[in-house]
Amino acid sequence: MNDKIITYIKEEIAIMPLDSIDVHEDLLGSGIVDSLGMMKLVVFLEKEFQVKIAPEDMTVENFDTINHISEYLSKK
Amino acid sequence: MIYNLSQILEQSAERFPDKEAFKCLDKALSYAVLDEKADQLAAFLIKSGLKKGDRVAIYMNRCLDTAIAVYGILRAGGVFVAINPLLPANRSLLIINDCGIEFILTTVSQQTKVKEILKESPLLKVVGLSDEENENWVSWNTIFTKSMESFKRPTIVEEDLASILYTSGSTGVPKGIMHSHKSLVCLAKLEADLHHSTHLDIIGNFAPLHFDQSLFGYFSGPLVGATTVIFPDAYVKLPASLSMLAAKEKITLWFSVPLILMQVLMHGDIDNKDFSALRYVRFGGEVFPVNQLRTLMKKWPHVKFINSYGPSEVARCTYNILVEPPQTDDPIPLGTVWGNTEYKILDEKDQEVKKGDPGELVVRTGTRMIGYWNNKALTEKSFFRISQVSGYDHIYYRTGDLVRENRKEELMFLGRIDRQIKLRGYRIELDEIEAVLQQNEKVNEVAVIVTTKEGGDRELEAVIRPVDKATIDIRELILFCSAHLPTYSIPQKITLLDDFPRTGSGKIDRNAIVRQIENNAL
Repeated sequence: MNDKIITYIKEEIAIMPLDSIDVHEDLLGSGIVDSLGMMKLVVFLEKEFQVKIAPEDMTVENFDTINHISEYLSKK
Repeated sequence: MIYNLSQILEQSAERFPDKEAFKCLDKALSYAVLDEKADQLAAFLIKSGLKKGDRVAIYMNRCLDTAIAVYGILRAGGVFVAINPLLPANRSLLIINDCGIEFILTTVSQQTKVKEILKESPLLKVVGLSDEENENWVSWNTIFTKSMESFKRPTIVEEDLASILYTSGSTGVPKGIMHSHKSLVCLAKLEADLHHSTHLDIIGNFAPLHFDQSLFGYFSGPLVGATTVIFPDAYVKLPASLSMLAAKEKITLWFSVPLILMQVLMHGDIDNKDFSALRYVRFGGEVFPVNQLRTLMKKWPHVKFINSYGPSEVARCTYNILVEPPQTDDPIPLGTVWGNTEYKILDEKDQEVKKGDPGELVVRTGTRMIGYWNNKALTEKSFFRISQVSGYDHIYYRTGDLVRENRKEELMFLGRIDRQIKLRGYRIELDEIEAVLQQNEKVNEVAVIVTTKEGGDRELEAVIRPVDKATIDIRELILFCSAHLPTYSIPQKITLLDDFPRTGSGKIDRNAIVRQIENNAL
């Protein structure tokens, strides 16, 4: 799951060229992903993993790192 | 009397010493503490050789330390230059070199990027990184433990330079907009008047420091002793967290780009949150789609909405208070100018147009910039002068915006007279992106355009005629852009063409390119 998310972020929405992304890296504070990229990521996750992400779940706690994103998704 | 920005803090520290001046999540600075820390930073800067008028960079993301940095620099008589830490290092260096920066204030979270800048500019003195690593570096902790005995605040007069704000220039080099203490104090007072703000207000500050909407939270709030809540970067990107925090902090005054409000409306779950404290929502930076504005206004009927307009060169100059949700989808007027502001609408020959006709808006106001840093020619080009008598001119700033007056004498925005655009709140010069791409040796000709997708989304696209189609790689071109341009200026799509559609005179026909892309004909 992590690998798919990393690949998508690196290839589609990262706003700077990246070699790799650590699963604990702060995606939002470091500026790897901007607000529009975040919206794209949510659409991608819903499609790829067949889940529905409610607006109230789109929080810093669930989306700040790749680890937290997959933890959140596995609880769905 | 308050005539400089440093006095704003001084006065509120006397009146409301224990009140929270700035807050960011679970951390806060009271007015008294901020006042003391600003003195400590100012003392350090002066002792380290800062002279009045010297430029100091603030290289930080949205955090509490930005407030100390801003007021410390100003109190020392320095000029703050907020640099977007998401800019490529090349571009940060252009700014640092352009205005001769010797000090850079930062935080540990930015150290990787700062160290990259230091490789090219090793003499910079750094505040905010560990002082054990380098003799030119000093940590915030060290500054806040220093004694202040010998510090005497320098005299700052209203004409002194307070800030340089860098924005895109059409030639590929950013230009520095200089504001004096006078123009920024004036703006702070006008904004406080507009909202009737008081020390009971709580301001939501969503803009980063390098975006001039933040001037409201950093100066107009403290002027009345209000509390400014700095929303961290992560919260601004996630609407559910942003609206949760705004409700929790009981924000009373909101000022942001329309995009943030639209995201909060769509994904912020606002029906289940308490926004009863909110008094005003002000938006600006670009056009708010009327149907979404209407929906939001209906959800928050107790809130007054204001459309606020102005190029950074005059900070802001018009406001339009909306008393009820717009009935039709007609564009929202920019409104009327501040009381201390005059304007004219000019045709191509600098003659005033007939009432109701379109023309370029020129503005004469107390919030006008001094000019562009180290660029007299560009400054003079941006001013429209009407000589009253030899040696005394009325100076208007040429906004480059095409407007007309409606029947109620409100200004209506019609577009630009040049190729500057607004996308997601960012001011973008299409000519600048073309100038950068043109520097790539594999590019023969380039056109950068904005296309509108289904659903109304607008995208930045580049169309390129390569020198040799076989060897050009689009990924490589995107990387080239990201090394020279801010993120928001990087084209979202690049298309290669053997030749462009052209006008009769052989020029690239950009309108035809836009039409072809929108009709999927390219």
